[in-house]
This record gives sequence, C-alpha cells and structure tokens, in this order.
Amino acid sequence: MSSSAPSAFVAFKTLLRRELLVELRTRSLLTSMGLFALLEVVVVGLGVRALPSDETFHRFVPAVLWVCVLFAAVVGVNRSALADREKGLHAAFLLLPFDPALIYLARLSSAFVFLSVVEVLLVLASVPLLRLQIPQEPWMLAVAALTNIGVLAPGVLLASATSSARGSEALLTILLLPVVVVVFLGAVGATDALAAGLGLAGAKPYLLLLCICGAMFPALGLLLYGRLHEA
Amino acid sequence: MKDLGTSSMVTIILAVLALLGAEAALWLSYFYAPVQITAGALFVVLPTPGVNTLNLYESHRIFFIHLPSAYATALCCGLCLVGGVMHLLSRSEKWDALTVSASEVGLLAGAITLLTGSFWADYAWGTGRIGSGWNWEPRLTTMLILWLAFAALLALRGAMPNVQARMKLTAVYGILVAPLYPLVQKAIEIGQVSHPRSFSDLLSAPEIGTTKQVATLGLLLAFGAAVALRYSANRLSFQLQKERAA
Repeated sequence: MSSSAPSAFVAFKTLLRRELLVELRTRSLLTSMGLFALLEVVVVGLGVRALPSDETFHRFVPAVLWVCVLFAAVVGVNRSALADREKGLHAAFLLLPFDPALIYLARLSSAFVFLSVVEVLLVLASVPLLRLQIPQEPWMLAVAALTNIGVLAPGVLLASATSSARGSEALLTILLLPVVVVVFLGAVGATDALAAGLGLAGAKPYLLLLCICGAMFPALGLLLYGRLHEA
Repeated sequence: MKDLGTSSMVTIILAVLALLGAEAALWLSYFYAPVQITAGALFVVLPTPGVNTLNLYESHRIFFIHLPSAYATALCCGLCLVGGVMHLLSRSEKWDALTVSASEVGLLAGAITLLTGSFWADYAWGTGRIGSGWNWEPRLTTMLILWLAFAALLALRGAMPNVQARMKLTAVYGILVAPLYPLVQKAIEIGQVSHPRSFSDLLSAPEIGTTKQVATLGLLLAFGAAVALRYSANRLSFQLQKERAA
C-alpha cells in the first residue's frame, strides 16, 4: 500500500460516515426496516389475540419481538447491498486502497446502528400493541447488542455476495436463517430468563452462547469478506 | 483427469466395503444384538396394562442406523469446512466439488437421522401418530436447522449465474455452516431435553456395543462412498460445462 493511503482508522471512519450520511439523507433503510418490523408486530398481535390468557401471551412476546428483529435485519442488509450493487458502488469500494475488511466493518457498524434504532421503535410500539413488559435489567442491553452483532455479521457478509443472484431477497433469507438460529435461541432464552427475574445467573448460559456467536461471526466476516470479493 | 480415475477407484473400494459393513450390521442388529431390557433407561417405555402398545424393547435396533447417520452428518459438516477453507486458499474447483458433495450427502444423512429419530420418538414420546413425538426440543430442532442449512447451500448453487462467485459463496457458506454442529451440541446443554444425552445404558450389553461399532463403520463407509461418488460426478459435470463453454 502506498504511503498516501489513509490509516485503517481514518478509512473506517470515512466509510462509516458515508453510510450514516447516505441514510440520514434518504432514510430508506430505516423506513423499510421499521415499517416491516411494525407490520410484523401488528400481524402477530392480530394472530395471537385469541390466546387463552395473558400469561401465555406474555411468554410469546420475547420470541415474537426477536423474530421481528431478525426479519428487519434481513430486509436492511439486503436493501443496503442491493442499493450499492445497483449504483455500482460495491465494485468501486473494492478498488479503494483500503483493506476490504474495513468496508465490511463499516457496513456492519452502520447496520448495527440502524437495527438498534429499529429495535427501540419496535419496543416502544410493542408496549401498547403486545402489552410488552420491558424487563428492568441492564443486561438486556448486552443481550440486544450481542444479538444484533450475531445476526448482522453473517447477514452483511452473505448479502454482499447474494446481491448479484437471481431472487436475492429469498436466497439471503434461506441462507441466513439457519446460520443465525443459534443467536435467536440465545436471545430468546436470555430474554425469557431476565423477564422471569432470574437475573444474570439464569441468563448466563444463553449470554455465553451469544458471546460465542458475537465474537465468532464478526471474526469470520473480517477474514472472509476480502476473500469473497477478490477478483 | 488422472485424479478422477483415482477417485473412481476409491469410490468402488468404499462401496464394496460399505456393502459388506452394512450387511454385517443388518445381520448383527437383528440376530446378534439382544432385546434391550435395561430398567430405568430413558428410552425404555414400560408397557401400560390394558393399552395395546408396540414392544419398544425391540425399538433400540433403529439406533444402529440413527447414530451412524448422525455421525455422518457431523462429518459432512467438517468436510464442508475443509472444502470451503481449501477452496478460498487454492481456488481449485476440486475443493468446491468436495463442499457440494459433502452437503449433498449431509442432506441425505441428516434426513435419515431425522426420520429414524422421529419414527422412534412417535412411539416412545408420543402417541404413535405420525408427528406426535416431535416436541421442538433443542436437539431435534437444531438438527432440522442443520439439515435446512445443507439444503440452503445446494439452493444457492442454482441461484448464482457466475461460476466463480458461486464457488466463492459456496466456500464461505460451507465455513459458516460448519460451526453449527458444535453449537448445536452445546445448545442442548442449556435447554430441557427429552433426547437421551448418553447411550451408555443402551450400550451396556457387549453384543450391542459390538453391533453399534460394526454399524457405525459400515454406514460411515457407505456415506463415504456416497461422498466419493458425488465428488466424481460433480467434477465431471464441471469439466463438461468448461468444455461446452470453450
């Protein structure tokens, strides 16, 4: 790399800034992810309103919310990759004098920010719609952060490769869901344990699972992104 | 194409050994392994008076197919990882063929594992009606997810028109699928499980242990032969596509 090439941190900051600025101007990702998640909540709320008791209903809510988050993430990473592919930006980025892993890291970081915003909106909407009782546990923030990373890390990696495929939306969903099902299992288990008042001790095995996925998937993404897009 | 000739030879040798192993396993499981009557073992269901139940004491014989198939699914996961890593490092299409072959055989082995497990569970945990034994416990569900991951890997082959992009994505997906198996194993430790955690009770009789070993060897050889066969076919198919394009 030439001496005029920016440092890794500057390159990452520039790429991340670009992702966030584009979204601030267009708001296309947040709108589609947010609306999709909200529609899921409404549809599920309608579907399960006939359940026998509030007790049963409340047991479903964490799983329902994580399903909404999962599909909102799929919509987000796929739309982002498709937009870049259509504008030819994907190929252009790979010509920049940066390590491709930085492009992946910037995409992952911006997707993390967008999904976190959608989650906040989703929780706020679920309080009246699904009678959600938010667990008063600071560990819920760790669960949410690790789940977002665990879902988005393989999502960003696979979306960048499937955006050129026929029927990329369906293909990404088919490829991503089996990979992130362990993250989903950890997220639902940890949320259930924290909501039941079991505290950190009850949620520990699930948090451990989330930590393993939250470390393994981004590491694999950083290693594989460059290889995947090598000419 | 010299290595394709070697691969065909390996396939024939493996197929002959697998046939012998499978025949021996079948004979041993019906005529050598005794009826399992270990009291208190998780898989033994005591007959209820007045209820016309099947004799589940005989049912352990299905495990001589179920267990080796599960082992083969795990091995196919490992082969996907090896094929994926080696393809990304070498760009050779032979590693791509290995990943695809492993996922094809993984799909078959996973299906046998799920079906034999479900047949047994319908009577042992359920009411005997098809599907009554499926209780969404972690090991059953995660095995199904792993099976779906193999299916997804094969589905992506048809959706990617660019050959190089298809091979690279196959390699990356093979690597991403591989950690599912150890995670699946770990995941069951944190949930309520009805699936036996250990078969030590079942294997307490020496005849059952011997039968299980022969069945494992025979069926693993059979699945190995299937991988070798599909590997040859996939490589020939790739050669054909290249020659057509030239």
